[in-house]
Amino acid sequence: EPLIDHAEGQLFLTQAFNIIVEEVLCKGTDVKQKVCHEWKEPEELAELLDLELREGGEGQQKLLQRVRDVAKYSIKTSHPRFFNQQFAGVDYHALAGRFLTETLNTNLFTYEVAPVFVLMEMEVLRGLRQLVGWTEGDGIFCPGGSTSNIYAMNLARYQLFPEVKSQGLYGLPRLAIFSSPESHYSVKKGAALLGIGTDNVIMVKVDDGESKLCSLSVCFFQGAVPFLVSCTSGTTVKGAFDPLDRIADVCDKHKLWMHVDAAWGGSVLFSKQHRHLMKGADRANSVAWNPHKMLVAGLQCSALLLKDTTNLLKRCHSANATYLFQQDKFYDVNLDIGDKSVQCSRKVDCLKLWLMWKAVGSSGLAERVDKAFVHVRYLVEQMKKRDGFHLLREPEFVNVCFWFIPPSLRGKEGNADYQDRLAKVAPTIKERMMKQGTMMVGYQPLGNKVNFFRVIVFSPLVSQKDLDFFLNEIERLGDDL
Amino acid sequence: MERHVKENPSEGQSPVTDPGHSVKCSPVVIDDVLLNGTTLDIPAAEEFIHQSMAIIVEDAVKKATDVREKVCEWRSPDQLKELLDLGLRDGGESDSKILQRCRDAIRYSVKTTHPRFFNQLYAGMEPYSMVASFIAEALKPSLYTYEIAPVFTLIEDAVLRKMMELIGWEEGGDGIFNAGGSMSNMYAMNLARYNHSPDIKEFGLSAAPQLVMFTSQECHYSVSKAAALLGIGTKNVYVVPSDKRGKMILSALENKIKAAKSEGAFPFMVNATAGTTVLGAFDPIEEIADICEKHNLWLHVDACWGGAALMSKKHKHLLKGIHRANSVAWNPHKMLMACLQCCAFLVRDKTSLQLCHSSGASYLFQQDKFYDISYDTGDKSLQCSRKADAFKFWLMWKALGSSQLEERVDRALAMARYLAEEIKKREGFRLLMEPEFSNVCFWYIPPSLKNLPDGPELYEKLHTVAPVIKERMMKTGSMMVGYQPHGDKPNFFRMIVISPQVSKQDMDFVLDEIHRLGKDL
Repeated sequence: EPLIDHAEGQLFLTQAFNIIVEEVLCKGTDVKQKVCHEWKEPEELAELLDLELREGGEGQQKLLQRVRDVAKYSIKTSHPRFFNQQFAGVDYHALAGRFLTETLNTNLFTYEVAPVFVLMEMEVLRGLRQLVGWTEGDGIFCPGGSTSNIYAMNLARYQLFPEVKSQGLYGLPRLAIFSSPESHYSVKKGAALLGIGTDNVIMVKVDDGESKLCSLSVCFFQGAVPFLVSCTSGTTVKGAFDPLDRIADVCDKHKLWMHVDAAWGGSVLFSKQHRHLMKGADRANSVAWNPHKMLVAGLQCSALLLKDTTNLLKRCHSANATYLFQQDKFYDVNLDIGDKSVQCSRKVDCLKLWLMWKAVGSSGLAERVDKAFVHVRYLVEQMKKRDGFHLLREPEFVNVCFWFIPPSLRGKEGNADYQDRLAKVAPTIKERMMKQGTMMVGYQPLGNKVNFFRVIVFSPLVSQKDLDFFLNEIERLGDDL
Repeated sequence: MERHVKENPSEGQSPVTDPGHSVKCSPVVIDDVLLNGTTLDIPAAEEFIHQSMAIIVEDAVKKATDVREKVCEWRSPDQLKELLDLGLRDGGESDSKILQRCRDAIRYSVKTTHPRFFNQLYAGMEPYSMVASFIAEALKPSLYTYEIAPVFTLIEDAVLRKMMELIGWEEGGDGIFNAGGSMSNMYAMNLARYNHSPDIKEFGLSAAPQLVMFTSQECHYSVSKAAALLGIGTKNVYVVPSDKRGKMILSALENKIKAAKSEGAFPFMVNATAGTTVLGAFDPIEEIADICEKHNLWLHVDACWGGAALMSKKHKHLLKGIHRANSVAWNPHKMLMACLQCCAFLVRDKTSLQLCHSSGASYLFQQDKFYDISYDTGDKSLQCSRKADAFKFWLMWKALGSSQLEERVDRALAMARYLAEEIKKREGFRLLMEPEFSNVCFWYIPPSLKNLPDGPELYEKLHTVAPVIKERMMKTGSMMVGYQPHGDKPNFFRMIVISPQVSKQDMDFVLDEIHRLGKDL
């Protein structure tokens, strides 16, 4: 006898869905509601949620209550006043795509189990590549930008030393990677994972062309072989864009693989006005781009795009498992793309982007990007009019980094303990904003700069009223410090 | 402080955009762009979502699980490209067009939730897990820090602890959910390597001694992919032969370790598979653990597929000895039917995951947060953004309880047993081996070949049978069963029995249908 009662399951689905729409989509995007529920310490929250997994199951009503609780205590990342990370907001077409993806529950390893999505992924990658400036190429969706960066590293290494795949790194010369100190930490994690070693990731300040070349010659001298430059279009904290053309010149000259981590900044390519920030991207060998960030596609949606047309991706990664990639199938087995990946099961991440792109068109996506820049201009203008907001630098992108200097500290830059006291401001304001649930914005130190705020503005739900609120709220929360 | 507007949330109301939002604020123009508030029309968006949900429930939930409907509607790639009109254009489309696109995507997709989808190691529909997925998709949390995902961080922790309990680690351990069993196996290799030589994290492998690892010939191919990625090299994955039932041969393992050492290589890890991909075989974990202890090797158990047996009192003996493993990979998205992806990596040691993977990024893992930062688990991962996968398992576990999850496993294995018995009774069907798990591997020998003696001629002809039957079943859309060659054996079918919605009739149907589709071959 089948153990599943479809009618009951489907009823639960429908009821739960209504709760999700109400609690997460409506309330969660409503500026009159909180971004985060009343703060709970972990132990307290654990008790409230009643986490324990038991022998016996529970009834529908109890489960629906659990659905409500999870929604209630979770951060409303689509809220107009969630500025904490590089993802935010909601696009309803993408969301429908995500629900559909979950329901169809399939994997992208072969055409036979995912015919629609294998073809769709190819088309989406083609569309993204076109924006980079490539008429041909390859690519794949990865479970995150970190994985994209790791793949690029692996491909670059394989291209130079294809024997690494079978022999490993023993007996090979020490390999070296160039990156900048502002690059994402996945470059280092990738180097550790790949057996290259974090020490062999050489950090070069990119706007100092001279020192980059010096580093290269130091490398050759010490017997290390540089093979990759991993540069960034849209750094995590500041939103800075590396000068890709100049980097491409260096890479061309020394035959290095050029990878552009455009996980964050890639979306500028949609905008005629702002794509110049990534001028030279087409000269790269690979580009990582996460539509789940600025394009609001929803986690995960991370593409690795390649210029290569020699099937490098597949050659590098393939293991030719005979139980999955049979060569005697009745359709063109080149459509079994699974062996391009290091993953076996791989989620369908393209549907949400495709559906949204179909709904709003490239021009609609470009509009969003442009509007984000405009909002940032507005925010910066307003900030400059107010005392106490001290910009780190003029934003190049949509990361606005600034210190809030409470009245008690203004004019006291000369004091010996100024930096220490300033460092404590952001964490305290952050704590207050979270406990009151009014908004969320991140802070961090960077190099020798003490804690400053990083407000990220791009969500299509944000209005300039939210930006005014943001400035008022920082003042309100921090004036007494 | 903002207050909740709705007193009575159960009254269905459409949300109201803040009336003060666009009225009180005077529009601003910057760069010729009029900033006049959010451009998102929430009521229209909500309407669209409801309509798309109705389509999803009707077509992708109800019909997709209905045995009277097809499993797949086959189209050739060229036909499908045309039907779907995939091209991405400058202009957008109306909501009704988008809804049609949703219908089309469903129609031409394979219904992996259908009772007659037996093609892979996942199948069926688990509504509680699906609801959890929807919640996670709507909330879109990222599990790098507690501040962003408080609920899901705690839930992941609770699920991992429970899984560790089932493995038998009384003192607990550590773990993380990640993007696939392949990734879990990769993590294991990375941790085992780090455990052996922590310096490699910084200095890399080129000056390191030749590290080698051992795995059975039936293991999952992710072991090989991981070795390549990690710079260890596929050559340094020593493949240990397995016996007729697909289990690693212990004496062979011991010999290979000794041989490797005498060659000057450094064994560092053994990968034991609990539930191999094709045969569903279980390596003898207890004995392998003995060998690992003796030679001081990291023991990783790839229980991605077979881990579900730990839920069953009756069948957990298959993983006897697993508590002695250093690390375990276990995918609830397989037999336990949590929605894809749902993959756990568990490690007995409590600090190595953090130590091996961390990079201490100061923009994310600030040390001066106002809460206990040990709840920021993100640095244990190689991913940055990470989905709330454990939640999909947690909610269904709450709904079903361990007892029903156990029932599922028991039932799947009983169903596999039933199928195996039926195969033995029927003419034209030959079982490869008695199933140890729920993989039932068999040949269909059409009448034209039944009098051929065992030998190269039979095998050559037999090899061509399964692909044709597969093509026919897909074009008919009646069911999906995988086939593959294996070692020197010609193509055979691999039936995977998972879903509790599958009945005895479906098992009979599989055999009937294969015969129907292939009897003329």
